[in-house]
Amino acid sequence: MKHLRFILITAALILCVSWQAQAAGVKVIANPSVKTDSISTGDLRSVFLEDSDSLAGSHVEPVLAKGGPAHEAFLKDYLGKSDPALQAFYRSLVFTGKGSMPKALASDADVVAYVARTKGAIGYVSSTASTDGVKTLEVK
Amino acid sequence: MKPTLFRCIAGALLPGLTVSVCLHAQEFKVFDRSVQVHGFATQGFAYTNNNNFLTMNTTNGSPAFTDGALNFSMAINDKLRVGAQAYARKVGQLDDFRPELDWAYGDYRFARWFGVRAGQVKTAIGLYNDTQDAEFLYTWAMLPQGTYPLDLRSSMIAHIGGDVYGQIRMKKAGRLDYTAYAGLRTFDDRGGYYIFSSDLGMPITSLSGRAEGWDLRWTTPIKGLILGSSWTNMTQTRDGVYNMPGVFPPNTLYKCAAAPQRTAVGYGDYQKGKWDFSGEYRATDYWLNIYTPVFGSTFTWNGGNENWFLTSTYLAAKWLSVGVYHSNYHVDSPANPANIASNHVYDEVGAVRFDINRFWIVKAEGHFMDGYGDVYSTQGFYERSNPGGFKRRTDMLVLRTSVNF
Repeated sequence: MKHLRFILITAALILCVSWQAQAAGVKVIANPSVKTDSISTGDLRSVFLEDSDSLAGSHVEPVLAKGGPAHEAFLKDYLGKSDPALQAFYRSLVFTGKGSMPKALASDADVVAYVARTKGAIGYVSSTASTDGVKTLEVK
Repeated sequence: MKPTLFRCIAGALLPGLTVSVCLHAQEFKVFDRSVQVHGFATQGFAYTNNNNFLTMNTTNGSPAFTDGALNFSMAINDKLRVGAQAYARKVGQLDDFRPELDWAYGDYRFARWFGVRAGQVKTAIGLYNDTQDAEFLYTWAMLPQGTYPLDLRSSMIAHIGGDVYGQIRMKKAGRLDYTAYAGLRTFDDRGGYYIFSSDLGMPITSLSGRAEGWDLRWTTPIKGLILGSSWTNMTQTRDGVYNMPGVFPPNTLYKCAAAPQRTAVGYGDYQKGKWDFSGEYRATDYWLNIYTPVFGSTFTWNGGNENWFLTSTYLAAKWLSVGVYHSNYHVDSPANPANIASNHVYDEVGAVRFDINRFWIVKAEGHFMDGYGDVYSTQGFYERSNPGGFKRRTDMLVLRTSVNF
Protein backbone atom coordinates (compact mmCIF):
# COMPACT_ATOMS: atom_id res chain seq x y z
CA MET A 1 0.00 0.00 0.00
CA LYS A 2 2.85 2.32 0.98
CA HIS A 3 4.63 1.51 -2.24
CA LEU A 4 1.48 2.03 -4.27
CA ARG A 5 0.94 5.47 -2.74
CA PHE A 6 4.57 6.36 -3.49
CA ILE A 7 4.21 5.20 -7.08
CA LEU A 8 1.00 7.16 -7.58
CA ILE A 9 2.46 10.34 -6.11
CA THR A 10 5.62 9.97 -8.17
CA ALA A 11 3.59 9.37 -11.31
CA ALA A 12 1.46 12.43 -10.58
CA LEU A 13 4.59 14.54 -10.06
CA ILE A 14 6.11 13.29 -13.30
CA LEU A 15 2.92 14.08 -15.20
CA CYS A 16 2.78 17.52 -13.62
CA VAL A 17 6.37 18.34 -14.47
CA SER A 18 6.05 17.07 -18.04
CA TRP A 19 2.85 19.09 -18.55
CA GLN A 20 4.60 22.20 -17.29
CA ALA A 21 7.56 21.53 -19.56
CA GLN A 22 5.24 21.13 -22.55
CA ALA A 23 3.22 24.25 -21.77
CA ALA A 24 6.44 26.21 -21.19
CA GLY A 25 8.07 25.09 -24.51
CA VAL A 26 8.67 28.71 -25.44
CA LYS A 27 9.68 31.79 -23.55
CA VAL A 28 9.31 35.43 -24.55
CA ILE A 29 12.44 37.56 -24.44
CA ALA A 30 13.06 41.28 -24.84
CA ASN A 31 15.88 43.75 -25.13
CA PRO A 32 16.76 45.24 -21.71
CA SER A 33 15.51 48.63 -22.96
CA VAL A 34 11.90 47.37 -22.82
CA LYS A 35 10.52 48.86 -19.61
CA THR A 36 8.55 45.92 -18.32
CA ASP A 37 9.19 42.44 -17.03
CA SER A 38 5.80 41.04 -18.01
CA ILE A 39 3.37 41.19 -20.89
CA SER A 40 -0.25 40.17 -21.25
CA THR A 41 -1.23 37.70 -23.94
CA GLY A 42 -3.34 40.46 -25.52
CA ASP A 43 -0.40 42.85 -25.70
CA LEU A 44 1.86 40.09 -27.00
CA ARG A 45 -0.61 39.37 -29.77
CA SER A 46 -0.93 43.09 -30.55
CA VAL A 47 2.82 43.51 -30.89
CA PHE A 48 3.31 40.49 -33.15
CA LEU A 49 0.27 41.28 -35.30
CA GLU A 50 1.49 44.87 -35.62
CA ASP A 51 -1.60 46.37 -33.98
CA SER A 52 0.68 48.11 -31.52
CA ASP A 53 4.34 49.09 -31.55
CA SER A 54 4.67 50.21 -27.96
CA LEU A 55 4.73 48.49 -24.60
CA ALA A 56 4.92 50.22 -21.23
CA GLY A 57 5.98 53.40 -22.95
CA SER A 58 8.75 51.70 -24.95
CA HIS A 59 8.78 51.36 -28.71
CA VAL A 60 8.91 47.65 -29.49
CA GLU A 61 9.67 45.58 -32.58
CA PRO A 62 8.64 41.94 -32.98
CA VAL A 63 11.26 39.37 -34.00
CA LEU A 64 10.25 35.95 -35.24
CA ALA A 65 11.89 32.59 -35.71
CA LYS A 66 11.77 31.16 -39.21
CA GLY A 67 10.55 27.81 -37.95
CA GLY A 68 11.06 25.11 -35.37
CA PRO A 69 9.21 23.85 -32.31
CA ALA A 70 9.43 27.14 -30.39
CA HIS A 71 8.01 28.99 -33.40
CA GLU A 72 5.12 26.54 -33.78
CA ALA A 73 4.39 26.66 -30.04
CA PHE A 74 4.43 30.47 -30.00
CA LEU A 75 2.05 30.73 -32.96
CA LYS A 76 -0.33 28.19 -31.51
CA ASP A 77 -0.26 29.38 -27.88
CA TYR A 78 -0.22 33.13 -28.39
CA LEU A 79 -1.20 34.15 -31.92
CA GLY A 80 -3.72 31.46 -32.82
CA LYS A 81 -2.44 31.33 -36.40
CA SER A 82 -0.62 28.77 -38.47
CA ASP A 83 2.67 29.81 -40.06
CA PRO A 84 1.12 30.10 -43.59
CA ALA A 85 -1.70 32.23 -42.16
CA LEU A 86 0.76 34.45 -40.31
CA GLN A 87 2.94 34.94 -43.39
CA ALA A 88 -0.16 35.78 -45.43
CA PHE A 89 -1.18 38.29 -42.75
CA TYR A 90 2.18 40.06 -42.84
CA ARG A 91 2.17 40.09 -46.64
CA SER A 92 -1.30 41.66 -46.66
CA LEU A 93 0.12 44.49 -44.55
CA VAL A 94 3.24 44.86 -46.70
CA PHE A 95 1.39 44.98 -50.02
CA THR A 96 -1.15 47.56 -48.82
CA GLY A 97 1.46 49.71 -47.07
CA LYS A 98 -0.07 49.16 -43.66
CA GLY A 99 2.88 47.42 -42.06
CA SER A 100 6.26 45.81 -42.55
CA MET A 101 7.65 42.29 -42.56
CA PRO A 102 9.15 41.51 -39.15
CA LYS A 103 12.68 40.21 -38.87
CA ALA A 104 12.79 36.40 -38.97
CA LEU A 105 15.86 34.49 -37.83
CA ALA A 106 16.97 30.92 -38.25
CA SER A 107 17.87 29.81 -34.72
CA ASP A 108 17.35 30.53 -31.04
CA ALA A 109 20.92 31.83 -30.84
CA ASP A 110 20.31 34.23 -33.73
CA VAL A 111 17.09 35.48 -32.13
CA VAL A 112 18.80 36.05 -28.78
CA ALA A 113 21.72 37.84 -30.43
CA TYR A 114 19.42 40.13 -32.44
CA VAL A 115 17.16 40.91 -29.49
CA ALA A 116 20.19 41.62 -27.30
CA ARG A 117 21.60 44.23 -29.68
CA THR A 118 18.34 45.80 -30.93
CA LYS A 119 16.60 48.39 -28.82
CA GLY A 120 12.94 47.51 -28.30
CA ALA A 121 13.14 44.04 -29.83
CA ILE A 122 10.80 41.32 -28.53
CA GLY A 123 11.17 37.72 -29.63
CA TYR A 124 10.71 34.15 -28.47
CA VAL A 125 12.96 31.13 -28.08
CA SER A 126 12.67 27.60 -26.77
CA SER A 127 12.38 27.42 -23.01
CA THR A 128 15.82 25.81 -22.70
CA ALA A 129 17.67 28.38 -24.81
CA SER A 130 20.36 30.54 -23.29
CA THR A 131 19.17 34.13 -22.83
CA ASP A 132 22.39 36.00 -22.10
CA GLY A 133 22.02 39.69 -22.79
CA VAL A 134 18.20 39.74 -22.87
CA LYS A 135 15.42 39.65 -20.32
CA THR A 136 12.66 37.10 -20.13
CA LEU A 137 9.13 38.49 -19.99
CA GLU A 138 6.52 36.75 -17.91
CA VAL A 139 3.40 36.19 -20.02
CA LYS A 140 0.25 36.80 -17.99
CA MET B 1 -3.40 24.74 -77.31
CA LYS B 2 -0.86 22.17 -76.15
CA PRO B 3 2.31 23.85 -77.55
CA THR B 4 1.18 27.23 -76.13
CA LEU B 5 0.38 25.67 -72.77
CA PHE B 6 3.73 23.89 -72.64
CA ARG B 7 5.64 27.04 -73.56
CA CYS B 8 3.70 29.02 -70.99
CA ILE B 9 4.35 26.53 -68.22
CA ALA B 10 8.04 26.30 -69.08
CA GLY B 11 8.30 30.03 -69.46
CA ALA B 12 6.76 30.59 -66.06
CA LEU B 13 8.36 27.80 -64.06
CA LEU B 14 11.97 28.35 -65.09
CA PRO B 15 12.10 32.03 -64.16
CA GLY B 16 10.10 31.22 -61.03
CA LEU B 17 12.71 28.70 -59.95
CA THR B 18 15.54 31.10 -60.72
CA VAL B 19 13.96 34.09 -59.03
CA SER B 20 12.87 32.24 -55.91
CA VAL B 21 16.40 31.01 -55.37
CA CYS B 22 17.74 34.57 -55.60
CA LEU B 23 15.12 36.30 -53.42
CA HIS B 24 16.69 37.75 -50.31
CA ALA B 25 18.00 40.98 -48.82
CA GLN B 26 15.14 43.44 -49.40
CA GLU B 27 16.03 45.82 -46.63
CA PHE B 28 18.49 48.68 -46.48
CA LYS B 29 19.12 51.80 -44.40
CA VAL B 30 18.44 55.43 -45.29
CA PHE B 31 19.53 57.96 -42.66
CA ASP B 32 19.60 55.09 -40.16
CA ARG B 33 15.99 54.17 -40.95
CA SER B 34 15.18 50.76 -42.32
CA VAL B 35 13.60 50.73 -45.79
CA GLN B 36 11.89 47.54 -46.88
CA VAL B 37 11.42 46.64 -50.54
CA HIS B 38 8.91 43.99 -51.58
CA GLY B 39 7.41 42.86 -54.82
CA PHE B 40 5.60 40.18 -56.71
CA ALA B 41 5.14 38.92 -60.25
CA THR B 42 2.50 36.54 -61.57
CA GLN B 43 2.03 34.69 -64.82
CA GLY B 44 -1.19 32.97 -65.75
CA PHE B 45 -2.68 30.87 -68.49
CA ALA B 46 -6.40 30.56 -69.20
CA TYR B 47 -8.34 28.25 -71.49
CA THR B 48 -12.10 28.25 -72.10
CA ASN B 49 -14.29 25.89 -74.06
CA ASN B 50 -16.75 28.65 -74.96
CA ASN B 51 -16.53 32.45 -74.96
CA ASN B 52 -13.30 34.37 -74.69
CA PHE B 53 -12.98 35.76 -71.18
CA LEU B 54 -11.51 39.03 -69.89
CA THR B 55 -10.49 40.03 -73.45
CA MET B 56 -8.00 37.16 -73.58
CA ASN B 57 -8.07 34.73 -76.49
CA THR B 58 -8.93 31.97 -74.05
CA THR B 59 -10.67 29.65 -76.52
CA ASN B 60 -7.21 29.06 -77.98
CA GLY B 61 -5.48 29.18 -74.60
CA SER B 62 -4.01 32.51 -73.58
CA PRO B 63 -0.92 33.42 -71.58
CA ALA B 64 -1.78 37.15 -71.77
CA PHE B 65 -2.31 37.18 -68.03
CA THR B 66 0.59 38.84 -66.27
CA ASP B 67 0.99 41.35 -63.48
CA GLY B 68 3.52 42.55 -60.95
CA ALA B 69 4.25 45.18 -58.34
CA LEU B 70 7.17 46.70 -56.49
CA ASN B 71 6.95 48.70 -53.28
CA PHE B 72 9.05 50.32 -50.63
CA SER B 73 8.07 51.39 -47.12
CA MET B 74 9.80 53.08 -44.25
CA ALA B 75 9.01 54.00 -40.65
CA ILE B 76 10.06 57.65 -40.30
CA ASN B 77 9.54 57.48 -36.55
CA ASP B 78 7.47 55.47 -34.06
CA LYS B 79 4.20 56.91 -35.38
CA LEU B 80 4.77 57.80 -39.04
CA ARG B 81 5.19 55.42 -41.98
CA VAL B 82 5.51 56.25 -45.67
CA GLY B 83 5.54 54.04 -48.68
CA ALA B 84 4.57 53.57 -52.31
CA GLN B 85 3.85 50.76 -54.73
CA ALA B 86 3.94 50.65 -58.53
CA TYR B 87 1.82 48.10 -60.37
CA ALA B 88 1.69 46.90 -63.98
CA ARG B 89 -0.31 44.25 -65.75
CA LYS B 90 -1.50 42.88 -69.04
CA VAL B 91 -4.72 40.86 -69.13
CA GLY B 92 -5.74 40.26 -72.73
CA GLN B 93 -6.43 43.69 -74.19
CA LEU B 94 -6.69 45.26 -70.73
CA ASP B 95 -3.71 47.40 -69.87
CA ASP B 96 -0.39 46.97 -71.57
CA PHE B 97 2.26 46.70 -68.87
CA ARG B 98 2.29 50.46 -68.37
CA PRO B 99 3.35 50.98 -64.73
CA GLU B 100 0.93 52.91 -62.61
CA LEU B 101 0.97 54.20 -59.09
CA ASP B 102 -0.92 51.64 -57.01
CA TRP B 103 -0.67 53.30 -53.62
CA ALA B 104 1.49 55.99 -52.05
CA TYR B 105 0.73 57.52 -48.71
CA GLY B 106 1.81 58.65 -45.31
CA ASP B 107 0.33 56.89 -42.29
CA TYR B 108 0.36 58.56 -38.89
CA ARG B 109 -0.88 56.57 -35.93
CA PHE B 110 -1.76 58.83 -33.01
CA ALA B 111 -2.95 55.94 -30.87
CA ARG B 112 -4.14 52.36 -31.30
CA TRP B 113 -7.70 53.69 -31.66
CA PHE B 114 -6.94 56.52 -34.09
CA GLY B 115 -4.70 56.99 -37.09
CA VAL B 116 -4.80 58.82 -40.43
CA ARG B 117 -3.58 57.99 -43.90
CA ALA B 118 -3.27 60.51 -46.74
CA GLY B 119 -2.32 59.98 -50.34
CA GLN B 120 -3.44 57.28 -52.77
CA VAL B 121 -4.79 54.61 -50.47
CA LYS B 122 -6.23 51.19 -51.21
CA THR B 123 -9.95 51.26 -50.41
CA ALA B 124 -11.24 49.06 -47.60
CA ILE B 125 -14.38 47.34 -48.88
CA GLY B 126 -15.34 43.81 -48.00
CA LEU B 127 -12.94 40.99 -47.35
CA TYR B 128 -10.41 41.44 -50.14
CA ASN B 129 -10.80 44.75 -52.02
CA ASP B 130 -7.52 46.26 -50.85
CA THR B 131 -5.54 43.01 -51.25
CA GLN B 132 -7.15 41.59 -54.41
CA ASP B 133 -3.98 41.99 -56.51
CA ALA B 134 -1.92 39.88 -54.11
CA GLU B 135 -3.14 36.52 -55.41
CA PHE B 136 -0.40 34.74 -53.43
CA LEU B 137 -2.43 35.48 -50.29
CA TYR B 138 -5.21 33.15 -51.43
CA THR B 139 -5.83 29.61 -52.55
CA TRP B 140 -7.53 30.98 -55.69
CA ALA B 141 -5.95 31.88 -58.99
CA MET B 142 -8.86 34.29 -59.43
CA LEU B 143 -10.99 35.76 -56.68
CA PRO B 144 -14.76 35.50 -57.25
CA GLN B 145 -15.21 37.61 -60.35
CA GLY B 146 -18.75 38.62 -59.54
CA THR B 147 -17.38 40.56 -56.55
CA TYR B 148 -13.75 41.29 -57.48
CA PRO B 149 -13.77 41.59 -61.28
CA LEU B 150 -10.25 41.74 -62.70
CA ASP B 151 -11.38 43.87 -65.63
CA LEU B 152 -13.02 46.54 -63.45
CA ARG B 153 -10.29 46.58 -60.82
CA SER B 154 -9.43 50.25 -61.12
CA SER B 155 -12.95 51.54 -60.48
CA MET B 156 -12.95 50.65 -56.77
CA ILE B 157 -9.44 49.68 -55.79
CA ALA B 158 -8.06 52.95 -54.46
CA HIS B 159 -8.88 56.56 -53.74
CA ILE B 160 -6.78 59.69 -53.64
CA GLY B 161 -7.65 61.27 -50.34
CA GLY B 162 -7.52 60.04 -46.82
CA ASP B 163 -8.56 57.50 -44.25
CA VAL B 164 -9.14 57.60 -40.56
CA TYR B 165 -8.75 54.24 -38.92
CA GLY B 166 -8.29 52.54 -35.62
CA GLN B 167 -8.90 49.62 -33.39
CA ILE B 168 -11.20 49.51 -30.40
CA ARG B 169 -10.82 46.72 -27.87
CA MET B 170 -14.09 45.64 -26.30
CA LYS B 171 -12.68 43.20 -23.73
CA LYS B 172 -14.80 40.05 -23.81
CA ALA B 173 -16.79 41.32 -26.79
CA GLY B 174 -13.72 41.14 -29.03
CA ARG B 175 -12.32 43.94 -31.12
CA LEU B 176 -13.54 46.43 -33.72
CA ASP B 177 -11.35 47.68 -36.57
CA TYR B 178 -12.79 50.67 -38.37
CA THR B 179 -11.85 52.62 -41.48
CA ALA B 180 -13.60 55.66 -42.91
CA TYR B 181 -12.42 57.19 -46.15
CA ALA B 182 -13.06 59.85 -48.72
CA GLY B 183 -11.29 60.80 -51.89
CA LEU B 184 -11.19 60.84 -55.66
CA ARG B 185 -11.66 57.61 -57.57
CA THR B 186 -8.85 56.30 -59.75
CA PHE B 187 -9.82 55.10 -63.21
CA ASP B 188 -7.72 53.25 -65.75
CA ASP B 189 -8.27 54.33 -69.35
CA ARG B 190 -7.02 50.90 -70.45
CA GLY B 191 -9.37 49.03 -68.13
CA GLY B 192 -12.70 47.31 -68.51
CA TYR B 193 -14.89 50.40 -68.15
CA TYR B 194 -13.34 52.14 -71.13
CA ILE B 195 -13.15 49.05 -73.33
CA PHE B 196 -16.72 48.02 -72.59
CA SER B 197 -18.09 51.51 -73.21
CA SER B 198 -16.22 51.64 -76.50
CA ASP B 199 -17.72 48.30 -77.54
CA LEU B 200 -21.18 49.69 -76.72
CA GLY B 201 -20.62 52.64 -79.06
CA MET B 202 -20.10 55.08 -76.20
CA PRO B 203 -16.35 55.63 -75.95
CA ILE B 204 -15.29 57.66 -72.94
CA THR B 205 -13.31 60.88 -73.24
CA SER B 206 -13.19 61.68 -69.53
CA LEU B 207 -14.19 59.87 -66.35
CA SER B 208 -13.90 61.02 -62.77
CA GLY B 209 -15.65 60.67 -59.45
CA ARG B 210 -15.45 60.55 -55.69
CA ALA B 211 -15.71 57.74 -53.22
CA GLU B 212 -16.58 57.91 -49.57
CA GLY B 213 -17.49 55.18 -47.16
CA TRP B 214 -16.56 53.03 -44.25
CA ASP B 215 -15.59 49.53 -43.25
CA LEU B 216 -16.17 47.95 -39.87
CA ARG B 217 -14.60 44.62 -38.96
CA TRP B 218 -15.48 42.78 -35.77
CA THR B 219 -13.09 40.16 -34.43
CA THR B 220 -15.67 38.32 -32.39
CA PRO B 221 -15.17 36.50 -29.08
CA ILE B 222 -15.65 33.25 -31.00
CA LYS B 223 -12.10 32.19 -31.85
CA GLY B 224 -11.46 32.38 -35.59
CA LEU B 225 -14.65 34.28 -36.49
CA ILE B 226 -14.59 37.72 -38.10
CA LEU B 227 -17.71 39.56 -39.24
CA GLY B 228 -17.77 42.83 -41.11
CA SER B 229 -19.71 45.40 -43.01
CA SER B 230 -18.80 48.07 -45.55
CA TRP B 231 -20.66 50.84 -47.27
CA THR B 232 -19.53 53.04 -50.10
CA ASN B 233 -21.01 55.91 -52.08
CA MET B 234 -19.40 56.64 -55.41
CA THR B 235 -20.03 59.51 -57.76
CA GLN B 236 -19.26 59.35 -61.45
CA THR B 237 -19.00 62.04 -64.07
CA ARG B 238 -18.43 60.69 -67.53
CA ASP B 239 -18.15 62.44 -70.90
CA GLY B 240 -17.94 60.81 -74.29
CA VAL B 241 -18.80 60.83 -77.94
CA TYR B 242 -21.30 58.37 -79.42
CA ASN B 243 -19.98 55.96 -82.01
CA MET B 244 -23.28 54.57 -83.32
CA PRO B 245 -23.52 55.20 -87.06
CA GLY B 246 -27.11 55.41 -88.12
CA VAL B 247 -28.29 56.12 -84.60
CA PHE B 248 -26.43 59.29 -83.70
CA PRO B 249 -24.74 61.78 -86.02
CA PRO B 250 -20.93 61.88 -85.86
CA ASN B 251 -19.43 63.75 -82.89
CA THR B 252 -22.64 63.59 -80.84
CA LEU B 253 -21.63 64.19 -77.24
CA TYR B 254 -23.05 62.52 -74.17
CA LYS B 255 -22.65 63.15 -70.47
CA CYS B 256 -23.26 60.67 -67.66
CA ALA B 257 -23.62 61.08 -63.95
CA ALA B 258 -24.28 58.41 -61.34
CA ALA B 259 -27.47 59.13 -59.41
CA PRO B 260 -26.54 57.38 -57.10
CA GLN B 261 -24.05 54.52 -56.98
CA ARG B 262 -23.99 52.94 -53.55
CA THR B 263 -22.87 49.54 -52.36
CA ALA B 264 -23.65 47.86 -49.07
CA VAL B 265 -21.52 44.87 -48.06
CA GLY B 266 -21.69 42.18 -45.40
CA TYR B 267 -18.96 39.59 -44.94
CA GLY B 268 -17.53 36.96 -42.67
CA ASP B 269 -14.56 34.66 -42.30
CA TYR B 270 -14.19 31.66 -40.02
CA GLN B 271 -10.95 29.79 -39.46
CA LYS B 272 -10.97 26.52 -37.56
CA GLY B 273 -7.89 24.35 -37.57
CA LYS B 274 -6.96 23.68 -41.17
CA TRP B 275 -10.29 24.89 -42.51
CA ASP B 276 -11.27 28.36 -43.61
CA PHE B 277 -14.74 29.47 -44.65
CA SER B 278 -15.59 32.90 -46.00
CA GLY B 279 -18.50 34.68 -47.58
CA GLU B 280 -19.44 38.11 -48.80
CA TYR B 281 -22.65 39.73 -50.04
CA ARG B 282 -22.92 43.03 -51.92
CA ALA B 283 -25.97 44.96 -53.03
CA THR B 284 -25.35 47.87 -55.38
CA ASP B 285 -27.89 50.58 -56.05
CA TYR B 286 -26.68 52.13 -59.32
CA TRP B 287 -28.57 54.60 -61.47
CA LEU B 288 -26.83 56.37 -64.34
CA ASN B 289 -28.27 59.47 -66.01
CA ILE B 290 -27.14 59.66 -69.62
CA TYR B 291 -27.68 63.13 -71.09
CA THR B 292 -27.38 63.88 -74.79
CA PRO B 293 -27.02 67.68 -75.09
CA VAL B 294 -27.90 67.91 -78.79
CA PHE B 295 -31.32 66.36 -78.09
CA GLY B 296 -31.71 67.80 -74.60
CA SER B 297 -32.82 64.37 -73.40
CA THR B 298 -31.82 62.23 -70.43
CA PHE B 299 -32.03 58.47 -70.27
CA THR B 300 -31.75 56.82 -66.88
CA TRP B 301 -30.21 53.37 -66.78
CA ASN B 302 -30.57 51.03 -63.83
CA GLY B 303 -27.31 49.18 -63.27
CA GLY B 304 -28.26 47.82 -59.86
CA ASN B 305 -26.94 44.37 -59.05
CA GLU B 306 -26.33 41.89 -56.29
CA ASN B 307 -23.45 39.52 -55.86
CA TRP B 308 -22.23 37.09 -53.26
CA PHE B 309 -19.83 34.23 -52.80
CA LEU B 310 -19.09 31.41 -50.38
CA THR B 311 -15.67 29.76 -50.14
CA SER B 312 -14.17 26.83 -48.34
CA THR B 313 -10.46 25.99 -48.18
CA TYR B 314 -8.47 23.25 -46.49
CA LEU B 315 -4.76 23.38 -45.68
CA ALA B 316 -3.87 19.78 -46.49
CA ALA B 317 -0.15 20.35 -45.82
CA LYS B 318 2.08 23.36 -45.31
CA TRP B 319 2.74 23.31 -49.08
CA LEU B 320 -0.72 22.30 -50.31
CA SER B 321 -4.15 23.84 -49.98
CA VAL B 322 -7.38 23.06 -51.82
CA GLY B 323 -10.62 24.93 -52.04
CA VAL B 324 -13.98 25.46 -53.68
CA TYR B 325 -16.23 28.47 -54.08
CA HIS B 326 -19.52 29.52 -55.56
CA SER B 327 -19.82 33.03 -56.98
CA ASN B 328 -23.18 34.55 -57.85
CA TYR B 329 -23.72 37.80 -59.79
CA HIS B 330 -27.20 38.97 -60.70
CA VAL B 331 -28.42 42.10 -62.49
CA ASP B 332 -31.55 43.72 -61.07
CA SER B 333 -32.96 45.05 -64.36
CA PRO B 334 -31.58 43.12 -67.32
CA ALA B 335 -31.83 44.66 -70.78
CA ASN B 336 -33.33 41.43 -72.13
CA PRO B 337 -35.29 39.64 -69.40
CA ALA B 338 -36.32 36.91 -71.86
CA ASN B 339 -32.68 35.81 -72.21
CA ILE B 340 -32.00 34.18 -68.86
CA ALA B 341 -28.28 33.79 -69.61
CA SER B 342 -27.86 37.54 -69.82
CA ASN B 343 -28.92 38.55 -66.34
CA HIS B 344 -26.41 36.62 -64.27
CA VAL B 345 -23.04 34.95 -63.98
CA TYR B 346 -22.80 31.96 -61.68
CA ASP B 347 -19.39 30.39 -61.18
CA GLU B 348 -18.49 27.10 -59.48
CA VAL B 349 -14.76 26.84 -58.81
CA GLY B 350 -12.33 24.22 -57.58
CA ALA B 351 -8.67 25.12 -56.92
CA VAL B 352 -5.42 23.65 -55.70
CA ARG B 353 -2.41 25.65 -54.54
CA PHE B 354 1.16 24.38 -54.24
CA ASP B 355 3.69 26.38 -52.19
CA ILE B 356 6.96 25.34 -53.84
CA ASN B 357 8.81 27.36 -51.24
CA ARG B 358 8.30 30.52 -49.19
CA PHE B 359 8.46 32.70 -52.30
CA TRP B 360 7.02 30.65 -55.19
CA ILE B 361 3.47 29.42 -55.66
CA VAL B 362 1.73 27.45 -58.40
CA LYS B 363 -2.05 27.11 -58.76
CA ALA B 364 -4.48 25.21 -60.90
CA GLU B 365 -8.16 26.10 -60.98
CA GLY B 366 -11.32 25.08 -62.80
CA HIS B 367 -14.28 27.41 -63.39
CA PHE B 368 -17.74 26.31 -64.44
CA MET B 369 -19.69 29.43 -65.38
CA ASP B 370 -23.35 29.82 -66.24
CA GLY B 371 -24.43 33.08 -67.87
CA TYR B 372 -22.49 36.02 -69.27
CA GLY B 373 -24.00 39.06 -67.59
CA ASP B 374 -26.07 41.88 -68.99
CA VAL B 375 -25.37 43.53 -72.35
CA TYR B 376 -24.96 46.87 -70.53
CA SER B 377 -22.89 45.57 -67.64
CA THR B 378 -19.62 43.86 -68.32
CA GLN B 379 -18.74 40.83 -66.24
CA GLY B 380 -15.69 39.63 -68.10
CA PHE B 381 -17.48 38.93 -71.39
CA TYR B 382 -16.67 41.45 -74.13
CA GLU B 383 -18.21 41.76 -77.59
CA ARG B 384 -14.89 42.63 -79.19
CA SER B 385 -13.52 39.23 -78.09
CA ASN B 386 -16.71 37.37 -78.98
CA PRO B 387 -17.96 38.85 -82.29
CA GLY B 388 -20.09 35.77 -82.96
CA GLY B 389 -22.08 36.26 -79.77
CA PHE B 390 -21.98 34.56 -76.40
CA LYS B 391 -22.76 31.02 -75.37
CA ARG B 392 -24.50 30.43 -72.06
CA ARG B 393 -21.91 28.16 -70.44
CA THR B 394 -18.18 28.74 -70.08
CA ASP B 395 -15.81 26.21 -68.57
CA MET B 396 -12.36 27.58 -67.88
CA LEU B 397 -9.00 26.20 -66.76
CA VAL B 398 -6.67 28.70 -65.10
CA LEU B 399 -3.03 28.02 -64.28
CA ARG B 400 -1.14 30.68 -62.40
CA THR B 401 2.29 30.95 -60.86
CA SER B 402 3.72 33.77 -58.79
CA VAL B 403 6.82 34.79 -56.94
CA ASN B 404 6.84 37.32 -54.13
CA PHE B 405 9.41 38.67 -51.74
